[in-house]
Formats: sequence, structure tokens, C-alpha cells
Amino acid sequence: MKTPPRLLARTLTVTFLMVAVILAVVFVVITLDVRDRVRAAETDKLRVSENVFSALESKRQQDQVAAMATLAEHPTLKAALDTYFTERRFSGASDEQLRATVTGETAKLATQTPADVLAVVETNGRIFTSAGPASWRWPVGTKVDIPGGTQSVFQSVAVLSSGAFRVTGARLTFGDRPIGALVAGTSLDANYAQELSNLSTAGVVITVNGAVVARTVPDQVARDLVTSRASGGTVTLNAEEYAVRPMLYSGPARIFMLTSVDAAARTATRDALLALAMIALGSVLLAAVGSFWLARQVSEPINHVSGEIARMTAAREFDRTLELSRTSRELDALTTAFNDLIRSLDAAEAETRAAYLGSIRALAAALDARDPYTAGHSERVSTLSVMMGRVMNLPAKDIEVLRLGALLHDIGKIGVSDQILRKNGPLTTEEFEQIKRHPALGARILRQVPFLASHLPIVELHHERPDGRGYPFGLRAEDIPLAARIVHVADAFDAMTSARAYRAARGSSEAFAELQRFSGTQFDPACVEALLAAIPSADDIEEPALAQLLGRQLVTHH
Amino acid sequence: MTLAPESELRHVVVYLKDAPRTAAPTMHAEIRQRNENFVPRVVAVTVGSTVDFPNDDPIYHNVFSLSRTKTFDLGRFPKGKSRGERFDKAGVVKVFCQIHSHMSATVMVFDHPWFTVPDEGGTFELPNVPPGTHQITAWHERLGDTTMELRVEPGRSDTIDFVLPVPAQQ
Repeated sequence: MKTPPRLLARTLTVTFLMVAVILAVVFVVITLDVRDRVRAAETDKLRVSENVFSALESKRQQDQVAAMATLAEHPTLKAALDTYFTERRFSGASDEQLRATVTGETAKLATQTPADVLAVVETNGRIFTSAGPASWRWPVGTKVDIPGGTQSVFQSVAVLSSGAFRVTGARLTFGDRPIGALVAGTSLDANYAQELSNLSTAGVVITVNGAVVARTVPDQVARDLVTSRASGGTVTLNAEEYAVRPMLYSGPARIFMLTSVDAAARTATRDALLALAMIALGSVLLAAVGSFWLARQVSEPINHVSGEIARMTAAREFDRTLELSRTSRELDALTTAFNDLIRSLDAAEAETRAAYLGSIRALAAALDARDPYTAGHSERVSTLSVMMGRVMNLPAKDIEVLRLGALLHDIGKIGVSDQILRKNGPLTTEEFEQIKRHPALGARILRQVPFLASHLPIVELHHERPDGRGYPFGLRAEDIPLAARIVHVADAFDAMTSARAYRAARGSSEAFAELQRFSGTQFDPACVEALLAAIPSADDIEEPALAQLLGRQLVTHH
Repeated sequence: MTLAPESELRHVVVYLKDAPRTAAPTMHAEIRQRNENFVPRVVAVTVGSTVDFPNDDPIYHNVFSLSRTKTFDLGRFPKGKSRGERFDKAGVVKVFCQIHSHMSATVMVFDHPWFTVPDEGGTFELPNVPPGTHQITAWHERLGDTTMELRVEPGRSDTIDFVLPVPAQQ
């Protein structure tokens, strides 16, 4: 049969299961519900940061416009340019020194702007001069088309054969008389995309005429963005969700800012799951410690009580009660019930024992009554043996064994015929052999009763002698149990002080002398001493039965 | 001749384009600096003439030119002061103020007497033009040049109309 699980194991299992279920529920809630919320929160966050960036960028553009308006009021540049065109118109000749003056002033101004190129554009749209790192892409004499370029200040996108530029410009005028425009251009290239991306902390895609010219996001994302024709909102690009915001819509050019909502949500969700994992670990540890402690609290007193019971059972100590553990009402109820059970079992056993004793006593008395001369013999031997045992300071348990064993010592005589038992005169050898069989016979009878196992040696060995000439085994001195030696002496003393059909009873002093004479050979010396010590105090003996019995003997004797 | 709008009428110089070098008496013209503007914005003089630049504004002004015909810088001078410049070469001279970059004026210097600036009504008169076929040009500081051919008979007056296309004001 399978053994049931330990309380500790069961408690731990239940706790772990509960924690696991709670964690599973929390996990599901987080991945389903919180994920959506995180996504919404991240989208809002992106929108806010994009708004902030847009405001900053708009301010930056305004500053650029203001800066260009200031630069366009450069007196020398304007004077040289106007003089150049006026002279050329009047005389047809151009003054290259004036052109050089304009070019030089433009180059100086170019160092004051962060733009890639600073150019002076004639009223007919041709580039008069250009300066700055990207001036080679604005060759002199080339016509540039700048949408809105006739406004006093303007911002737009100019597409040259060398690429697209975001331009900020201001017209060069004398009152209402225009003489050209000063234009700062920023190349719409990877550098610009990267710069915008750094400022906005978002991805940037720049397209011109629907073709990607610069990007800070993966190629596939940029291509999907163009294909989707999205102008804002949330768009799925390359299987990821992006918040897209248009930053510039000017002519053929588009600048988009985009941020992956999934990536942001992933980070936030991962953080949440990490926190959950820490909580899970903590609660598992707490649950383990807590349930271990609880299980120990419950199981330890139970183990203690069951250990006590096992010890009592092994030692057969049923006369003491278990102490209450005072740890739980249930366990104390169990202990009390156990104590009650033991007490009632004890009582039942005592009753059984008393019934047994009664029957045995009756049997012994019946046996003694077969021969008038031996009537009361067993009772007397029992009383004498108990007195001797007390003198020898035997434990109470041994005294009880002595009392009952002595009462039964001649039970084997049930198998000896009345003729032999009552024979008036000496026995033949054959008859004596029959008599000698009674201890073994008695033992055989008692062996059937487990309760009388400890009394058996008395019955079997009460005719052994210290000199080894006794029967049935011829054991010597210390090989004979003390109880059997005691009963042997008591039996001999009672036999000598009792009358027989073939002889009169002898007096106790004569019997003492006889015992002392054969002390060490027939009788155990210590037992003889004990008998001597017990009898003189027979007058004030507590046992009324003995006084009565001994009284009878004394009467018979005198 | 009519020019429109009226504000543009005085920014015109009409002259004989192919006139031979002919001595003419020197003149004394004036371009004032008033309300951060040169007034008038256009003057025409003969070679050797002097143009004065009095300052009427309560602020400093400067007068300078980068033109090949006459390069000069009169420096900065306050209200009530006037500085002049003599023009010894024919040609067009652009005049600016270094302090106020929106100010500009034009001085046209001729080596013959056949030039004029129309009056407020837009009419002009060129007396004593030698007989023959001439190119007559109307120069406008902003709108460019318009040149027409005119055959001049001796002892009589002829009329010519210039139409200068004025683009829409920006």
C-alpha cells in the first residue's frame, strides 16, 4: 500500500500551486491588459515629445528666417550687387570687381550660418554667387526654382540637379525695388536626417518626389512608409507599428518623424515582467518559508506524540499517560482520547487478570483438596514466597509473579493419579518417577496461556536443587531462577510443617533446622535466610490468611 | 507721355542715346536725405557738375558709391551738414548709405545736353535736338530701358510717347 504524503510535502505543494495560479493570472493580465495600456501610454508619450520637438523646430525655423532677414540687409553686398546690374544695363559692361565684392561678402556671411550653402540669386532666378561647404552643388549661372522665392522672406524646398535643399531666404531690395535674393540651403541628406533624429530622438525619413533620399530607420521601414502613402497616425511598417508624424510638406519633399510603438511597448512590458519576476521570486520564497514553518508547527507535536506512543508500546508502559502538547486543541483532544483508551484498556486487562487469577486460585484449591493433608498447601506456599520475596527486597512486579507462580506450582499434579498422591506409605521407584513428572506437566499446561509465561519457570523448576540433584533438569545453583528457588524452600517448609498420612507434622523450629542443615545442597542459602527472617515476625504479619494458616500449623504441632 | 503709378514718374531719365559728345554748361544738383530716403532718387547732370547731399534727418547718414564712373565715400555726417561730389566722367553712378541699407539713388552723368527728367505730370521736353534720326531712351531705375527711334526735322517739334510696363507691385 502506498504511504500517504507527509504533511510538510502537502502544505508546500498546496502553497506552491496557489502561488503559481496567482502568478499565472497576473501574467495573463499584464500581457493582455497592461500591454495595451502601455502601448497607448507610449503612443501618447511619443505624441507629446513630437509636439515639443515640432514647437522647437518651428522656433528654430523662425530664428533662421529672422537671421536671413538680417543678413539680407548687408549694405556693401547690396550696393555692389545693385551697382553691378545698373552698370551692366547702362553700358553693357560688367565690373568683375563688383562681382568679386559680392562673392567675398557672401563667403563671409556663409561662415555665420550653419547652412550647407549660402547663395545670392538674381531676380531672373540664376545663381549669382554661392559659398559654403555645399557651394559646388550650387554652380554660378544655374537657374534655381525656389517656390515662394518672391516673398520678402521665404522657406521652401529647392530641387537642383545635385539634390534637394531645404531653403530659407530673404529678398534683397531697395524699398520696393528687388535686386535678388539671399538664400541659405540645407541639403536634405543623411547628415540632416541624423541631425533631426538626434534632436527629436525619433527616426527620420526624407523623401523627394516619392523617393527616399535619407533615412535613419531600416531600409525596409522607409520603403514601407513610402508605399503606405501615410501622412501621419499609426502605421504598420515592416510588421511593426510606428507612430508617424509629418514634419515637412514642401513641394516634392517630405520629412517624416517615426517611432516604433512596439519597441517602446516592448521595453515597458519587459520592465513590468522583470518586476513581476522579482515579486514572483519573493513570494515563492516567502510561501516556502511560511508553509515550511506552518507544517513544522503542525507536524512536530504530532511526531512527538506518535514517538511517545511508539516508545510506550515498545516498553509496554501502559500505566502512564501522555502529556498534553498544548500546541493545538485538536492534538490535545487526540492525546486525551488516547489516554482514555489506554486507561479503559488497562481496566479491562485488570478485570481479565482478576478473572484469571480467580479461576487459577480455584483450580489450585481444587487440586489441594484432592488430598486432605495437602489442603491449603498452595495458598500457604504462595503467602510464604511473597514474604520471602519482600525480605529479599524484590521489585513489586517480581513479587506478583511469585505470588501467582507459587499458587500454581503444583498444577502438574493434576496428571498424577490419586492412588499415588494419597498413598499411605513409601512410594515405589516407579511411583516416585510419576510424581517427578509433575513440574514438566505443569509447564506444558501453562505454556498454553501466554499471560502466564513469566510464571512458567516457577512451575517447571521448583524441584531443582543447588547441588544439581533436583529434577526435572538437574540445574545448578545460579542456573535456577530465583523465584523457583524461593518457591522450592517455601514448598519444603510447608511440607515439613504439614501432617501427612504416613507421618505427623513437624514443628517450625525443627523444620528450620532441617532447612539449614541442607542449605547449600538441597536449598538455596539466601532463600533459607529469607525464610528465617520472615517467620519470626509472623505474629504481627499483615496477611491474615497466613496468620490463620500458620496458626493451624502451630495448633497441629502442639 | 504718361507713366503710372505716379510715384514712378520721377524715377525716369529720357536722353538721346547716340548723341555726340557736346560741351554743355555745368550744373548744381541736390539729393537730400530725408526720412531715410534719398530725395529725389534720380538726378541727371552734365559732366563737371556737382551734386550736394544735405542731411535733413535727425540721424547720421552716409553717402558712398562703388560705381566705376565715380567711386567715393563722403563719410558720416549729421543733420544740417551737406557734402558734395563733382562728377567728371559720363556714366551711371549708384549712391548708397552705409548705415541704411535700403537707401539708394542714381546720378546719371552725360557728356551732352540732350537729357531730361520728366515733371510730375510725366511730360518732358528735349530742346535743340539736331535734325536726323535718333535713338531716344527712357531709363527707369526699376523697370529697365525703353528705346525708340525718332526722326527729327529741322525747325519743328515732334511728340513721342513712352509706355513703361509696370509689373504688379509685390
